[in-house]
This record gives sequence, structure tokens and C-alpha cells, in this order.
Amino acid sequence: MASELKSARGVLYLYGITESRSRKLPELIGVDRFAPIEAIDCDGVFSWISRVSADDFERNLARNMENLDWLAETSVAHQRVIAAISRETDILPTRFGTVFRTEESLCRHVAKRIRGLKKDFERIKGADEWGVKVFTIQPTALPMPRARTGKDYLKAKAALLPSRRSKASQRDDLVKFERALAGVATETAAAGNVSRGQRGISFQTSLLVKRTKRKRLESVLVKFAREWARERRIECTGPWPPYSFVSRPDDRVRSK
Amino acid sequence: MSAPTNAVVFAGDDPGDEMTLLDILDHVLNQGVILRGNVIISLAGVDLVYLGLDVILTSVETALRHVGAAALPPEK
Repeated sequence: MASELKSARGVLYLYGITESRSRKLPELIGVDRFAPIEAIDCDGVFSWISRVSADDFERNLARNMENLDWLAETSVAHQRVIAAISRETDILPTRFGTVFRTEESLCRHVAKRIRGLKKDFERIKGADEWGVKVFTIQPTALPMPRARTGKDYLKAKAALLPSRRSKASQRDDLVKFERALAGVATETAAAGNVSRGQRGISFQTSLLVKRTKRKRLESVLVKFAREWARERRIECTGPWPPYSFVSRPDDRVRSK
Repeated sequence: MSAPTNAVVFAGDDPGDEMTLLDILDHVLNQGVILRGNVIISLAGVDLVYLGLDVILTSVETALRHVGAAALPPEK
């Protein structure tokens, strides 16, 4: 009986914190694809939570995260909840897997951080996060040249190769690109380490951009994409809730 | 953001857009508010790169199927 009671106990899964409580928010389902989202007033800010199983999200969370199907479904659900709230009001998103046992403990921890959270609300007001990646386009296979000797073969092959610019010149291109993006963004931050291993990636950054400057960001991206044409491909994802622009002890964000 | 040109790939603004699982994991696992305390489970130390990107990518379709999203765009 005791173990049944223990397994039925719920914990509070936290998605993020907002300054205001949106009235237009659609009905949302939480990371367990069952419980609805609720807003809890903590010290004048709102913590967005859903009540989830302690077995899945407290005791066995680390083990569940090794199950990639579970991790994929749950992380997508986490992002969808935060994205839906962020469409209505500015939100400070919480890192995946943050759970509290009671409303009191949640509010106590929010109260401890309230000054920092208020500063972060100012920092992200009216802005979204955008992710930008640059991929080097791999040259397609060249036709085999016909030649009588090895020397002729190498000469013929060299003639087929596209002219390669120096590495320094390519680095300069990326520096110019980074500067142009920084000119649009309020802040920039290092991108996460999961997609860093993608094949062909040569540059990656996260940008905090005011919604009023969105067109400018688009213009910069299009300009460089046209310049680079067949050399590189640019990918831009967003708008994201400002995951990379909340204060952390190991702050990697660079302010302008 | 709608795609203004084929030269740059935009994703994420429209409901039909796909943000890849890699991008989502980049954000939700590595970033975001950390409220420290003894009742919080923090997973800051998890480094998914060691799990292998190919393995993660195979989970994308499962994730999207379960959340009712559209199919992934074809591989480039």
C-alpha cells in the first residue's frame, strides 16, 4: 500500500516563468501528454507547471533520458508548451527536467532568484532567440579525367577543381557574417553542444533579436546566403523562447 | 519566418515548419533557467553528443509522430 501511494505521488514540472498571466492561452497539455498546464503565482511572477508522475520525472528521470524515444517525445512536448506561452507573453524558459515536490518549494526557489529573474525579464522584453548555422557545401564528385600518364591525369584533375579560396579568406567571411549578425542582435550567445557535431557545420550562434528587427535579420541572412551561393548554406531556426539568454552561474552570454 | 529565398533555410515560425530534434535538444537540455536547490533535478552534466547523432536523429520521427507533427523534410 505504501509503495502504491509513493508511486502515485506527483511532482511539479516547471516550464518557465512569466511576469503576466496570459488570458488568451490555449489549453495546453504537459510533458506527460496528459496533465494540463497551470500557472502558480509566486512572489508576483507566474510559474508554469504541470503535475507529473514522480516515478517518471523525479526518481527515474536520468534513466528515462537514456531512452531516446522518451527523451525525444518529452523534449518536444517541453518546447511546445514553452513556445505556446511565449507566443502570448515573454517567458523565461526553464531547463528540461526541473521538478519540485510542492508549490511551496517551487515558490521558495523562485523567491530566492526573484531579483535575477526580474533583470532577465527586462533583458528579453520584446525579443526572441534565433539560431543561425552555416554549413560548408561539399563539392560534388567530379568526372574522372582521361589521360595517358599520371602527370597528365593530375593536371586534368586540377583543371576540373573549382578555385579554392584560402582558409584565411574563408575565415574573414565568417567574421564579417558574425559582425553583421551582432549588429542586428541585442546579444549573442554560444550555441548548444548537441548539434555542434553536425556534418559540415562551420559556424553556429544564438541571437537575441528584438521583434522590431526581425526584417533586418532576414536581410542580413539573405545577403550572405546570396554572396556565398554554392559555397555555404545558412540555416536559421526561430523564433525560440530565449533559452540562451537567461542568467546562469556559468554565463557564456556576451553583451554588446 | 517564411522563406524569402532558396539561398537560406528558415524554420520554426509556421506550424508546418520543422525544428529538428537536435535544435530542440540544444535548447531545452543545455539552456534555460536553472533554479538550484535540493529538490531540483538538474541535468546540466548530460552530454548527448556521446550518444551519437545518428541515434538521436532516428528518434526524430518517433517524436514527431507522437506529437502529431508533419513528416520530416527529405534529407538534403
